[in-house]
Amino acid sequence: MAILRYILSILAATLLTGCYEDFSPEIDTKPVLCLNSLITAGEPIEVKVSHTWMFNDEKGKSNHEVTDASITILANERIVGSDYLPKEGDKIRIMTESPTYGSAMAEVTVPYATPIGKVKFTPVVTNIWKGDEDFFHYQMLADITFNLNIEMDVNDSAGTDNYYQFGYNWFSESGDDDSYGELSASRPPSLSIGTFEYNAEPIFKEHVGVFETVMGNGEDTDFVFFTDRQFPGRTYTLHLNFTNNTFNIKNETYDESLLECGMTLYLTTVSESYYKWAVYKWNVDEGITGDLSDIGLAESKWGYSNVSTGAGVVAAQSSAKYTIDLKEFLERTINQSNTIR
Amino acid sequence: MKKYIPFIIMLLLPIILQAQNVTIRAVNQPAATVFRSIVEQTGMNFVYSSELLKDMKVSVNVKDKSLKQTLSEIFKGPDIEYRIKGKNVILTRRQPKKKEDKKVAKRQNVTLYPSSITVPKMLEEVVVVSRLEAPAVETAEIGAKKLTAQEIINTPVMFGESDVIKALQMQPGISEGQEGLAGMNVHGGNADENLCMLDNVPLYQVNHFAGLFSAFNAEAIRYIDFFKSSIPAKYDGRLSSYLDVRTKNGNPDGHHGSAKLGLTSGSFNIDGPIGRRTTYSVALRRSWFDVLSIPMLAIINSSSDDEKIRFRYAFMDLNAKVTHRFSNNATAFASVYFGNDVLRTGSSDKEQPQTGWYDDDKADFNWGNLVAQTGLNYKFKPEMSAEFTAAYTRYFSGMTHDWLSKETTGENTVESHSVTKTRNNINDWIFRADFDWRPGETNRVRFGGGYTLHSFLPARTNRNYTVGTTQIVTRDSTWTYTANEANAYIEDDWRISDRFRANAGLHLSLFNIDGKTNYGIAPRLSLSYRPNEHWAVKAAYARTNQYVHQLSQTYLSLPTDQWVPITGKFRPQNADKVSLGVYWQSENRMFAASVEGYYKIMRNLVDYRDEYYLQPPTEMWNAQLCSGKGTARGVDFKVEKQFGKLTGHIAYSLAWSDRTFPDKNNGLTFPARFDNRHTINILVNWNINKKVRLNAAWTGHSGNRFTLLPQVWDAPEFGNSYTGDESPLKTRINNYQLPFYHRLDLSCTVRNKRGYWTFSLFNAYCHMNTVAIRRTYTNSNCPVFQKVKLLPIIPSISYTWQF
Repeated sequence: MAILRYILSILAATLLTGCYEDFSPEIDTKPVLCLNSLITAGEPIEVKVSHTWMFNDEKGKSNHEVTDASITILANERIVGSDYLPKEGDKIRIMTESPTYGSAMAEVTVPYATPIGKVKFTPVVTNIWKGDEDFFHYQMLADITFNLNIEMDVNDSAGTDNYYQFGYNWFSESGDDDSYGELSASRPPSLSIGTFEYNAEPIFKEHVGVFETVMGNGEDTDFVFFTDRQFPGRTYTLHLNFTNNTFNIKNETYDESLLECGMTLYLTTVSESYYKWAVYKWNVDEGITGDLSDIGLAESKWGYSNVSTGAGVVAAQSSAKYTIDLKEFLERTINQSNTIR
Repeated sequence: MKKYIPFIIMLLLPIILQAQNVTIRAVNQPAATVFRSIVEQTGMNFVYSSELLKDMKVSVNVKDKSLKQTLSEIFKGPDIEYRIKGKNVILTRRQPKKKEDKKVAKRQNVTLYPSSITVPKMLEEVVVVSRLEAPAVETAEIGAKKLTAQEIINTPVMFGESDVIKALQMQPGISEGQEGLAGMNVHGGNADENLCMLDNVPLYQVNHFAGLFSAFNAEAIRYIDFFKSSIPAKYDGRLSSYLDVRTKNGNPDGHHGSAKLGLTSGSFNIDGPIGRRTTYSVALRRSWFDVLSIPMLAIINSSSDDEKIRFRYAFMDLNAKVTHRFSNNATAFASVYFGNDVLRTGSSDKEQPQTGWYDDDKADFNWGNLVAQTGLNYKFKPEMSAEFTAAYTRYFSGMTHDWLSKETTGENTVESHSVTKTRNNINDWIFRADFDWRPGETNRVRFGGGYTLHSFLPARTNRNYTVGTTQIVTRDSTWTYTANEANAYIEDDWRISDRFRANAGLHLSLFNIDGKTNYGIAPRLSLSYRPNEHWAVKAAYARTNQYVHQLSQTYLSLPTDQWVPITGKFRPQNADKVSLGVYWQSENRMFAASVEGYYKIMRNLVDYRDEYYLQPPTEMWNAQLCSGKGTARGVDFKVEKQFGKLTGHIAYSLAWSDRTFPDKNNGLTFPARFDNRHTINILVNWNINKKVRLNAAWTGHSGNRFTLLPQVWDAPEFGNSYTGDESPLKTRINNYQLPFYHRLDLSCTVRNKRGYWTFSLFNAYCHMNTVAIRRTYTNSNCPVFQKVKLLPIIPSISYTWQF
């Protein structure tokens, strides 16, 4: 067996010999300006100007501000000032110039918001539990677990290529999901939305190619951008499934105002640049070809940009929202279950 | 570069010093065994009717004699005569003089000393032979090469798996592509521009395991003809090269075979007669990876408390052929090739918990090729023969991803089940007839035609998702394309005079798909001028057309690569190539040298456009593609020692290759990925003695091109998960050349009474070559560029038992 051990140690030594070697490539390249901005209809425009840097330049990573740049914003071919609020349909061009890094320009049109069409929601109780006192001697009066199936119509406008982003949050009298961390311990949020089943809506996977699909990279994701390519100028119904949602009431905190809760659904129409940026990020962060690119087994992927220098993204968005009121459902459930007398 | 020159000279020196002599001692041995020994020592092939040597026994005792002297010893008798033509020793029955007929008829068992042969009655029959039997100086073709099974086996490769493609990679003008893989980029072309034909039938999937192994089992191969510059008119359908692989017929003398056991695979092949007129040949190869991985996984899984890993990979290929001789003029065969890769991966939780998550994630891949065919070789008259082929070929690639998850809260369990199936198939029905007519001593006309009914299914994906009581089923809109392809060709190999020779031909094709018919006219011309016996100057022109192409998002050969037809806005690819060559061979044909130059223009090339992945795949699959052109030019040098104990070659290529696509690189021309300016290949095969043979292959080439993204920029903060970090700045495609690549592969074959051992070392001096540059962070979070190096020294061993 000595020979076997010897062979194995040679094998291990050769196979584990360093596969990576640090180096600094000699390549002729110079920094250029980078422009980033997300323009939202009705809100002031904020533009961030920076410059590119060599990846292995630690100083560049920590300091890439541009202090000598001038910025000009044109809306519909007219220069506008800092008090300008963009409107849907406005064509906005951002230009910047720096004596050190040259100039950069990007253009985007603020998309029209697409009103949310018909919304149908179906909550289904999966469990109701009335428990004993907890650690703080609060008795759990009701702990309702339910699934929420929502069908939301997207009425796509004809004649333009539209790109969408779906979003949601929830609210209750005691607080909403955005301010969860700031609530007092005595008044925790009564409603909590559980898992959003991205897989239930196939259009959220339209960006996933065959290769990514079979590698399983399209499954465990939270990508909520989609296009109207499959329903141009028509209505598409989004199937939105939320599972393991909970609503709980403790004796210490209960009053009827706790039932004032629900969800807000957002349908944001985004510019093409925003959509492409999101798809690019998904590919490099979650796609298998991004990993293969890193070891030279697939084409390198550079960052998507709609800026003339190839650095930065200027995007725009307009949102529509719809509120789902869960009070009636909760009242009915509590009454039927007789958990609170 | 200079530092490699002494090494190259050292490798080449023994070739120059060796001579082509034969030492052999055999007493009453089967003729085939004796010839095999001569083949190994001289590199010559023996061409004869299978019936001619049936039951023939040979006795011979020569030491360090020339080939001619050896053959004269063996064929002293009156029954068989030999002649040497090029690299072939052609054996025929000596035509007896009329007066001696009776004597000859009685002489069925004649023993001669020191050489003896026993000859049964014989019948001539039609046999398909390589069209590249003659040495290069005698033919009109440029850039053509015949490889025998022995030459393939003699090329050392990774894991000791003899490989047709990797043997060809040692020829000048062929880039190996990604390190260690069976890629083939011929004269600046793409990997999908090579047509591999197995007994006259195209094969789509030509490798196993991401390209690590070729789909051809070397044990089943008789020879291959390879064309990269002068393309005979018979071939069309790919832009860059043609590989005509011919499989072995069964041995009519008796049942012979071998069994091989290697580190990665095992193979078994057997052939022999079935009755007087029929032979069979079967070769089966299968990998061992799964056998090795099962115990390893069992150990890993037993040490894990919560997760169970699932992995199994195996490939296999089967070649089976039955040949039946109806008469001297008609031989038919039926054959099957089946190559298949299976990969199963995934993981699952060992137990479903009372509360919490349970996952079971499985991915199954299954891909390969099936070819079933039957053929008839028929000799109408001595100067006219034909080969009729009817075949069905199927390329298949199936992928299934099955993901089950359960979340249990108290008594409530929510189950999600997602099943995604993707299928990519091609079914071809092929009918063709190829005729070979010799109207006179100076002309050889080949003509024929064929029809192929294609059925293409580019990747079609079905998704089935169930959560609770909700079920969603989707299927993408990809449909099956049916295409009709017809072609006809004619060529004349005309020996105009002792000095001039021409091969002129025309290949016509039409490809009908989606109600649209594409036509292809492909003229071919090769001219040769021989100022004397040792020299030849050649010129050639070839146009080629291609109607199907392969889409691959990675540089690996994966089941996700799709073969798709030319449809929609895309036009058939075509290439025009002109070549010029000068050839030399020594008086005794021991040495040969050649210089070949070429210039090639490729049009309507198809590739993924820049940022193709930003286009939703639900668009038609060809929306992500773009069309462009490419050029390639270069010179190939080769010096070869063809016979003797020590054979081999040194090849050098100087090459340029570029691409121009309106939708790539801002429309600017960029170098092709395998634009390797300098490539040197040295192959040495040294038969030290009867028992031991050493093979060495050294390859060195300018590094592959790589798109290095040196700069980064501040990514936007858009307030969701798709934000943050820095992003690389777009740059020119293939703007960086990786360091010079070089590698030495060695193998040693040691024979014993029953068979032989093969020991091999891939990358013998363990120079880990750079295959890519990556951007990463050190442990202290410093950003750095790193060279990615993949393959170290890889030893392997195998044993082949012959019977």
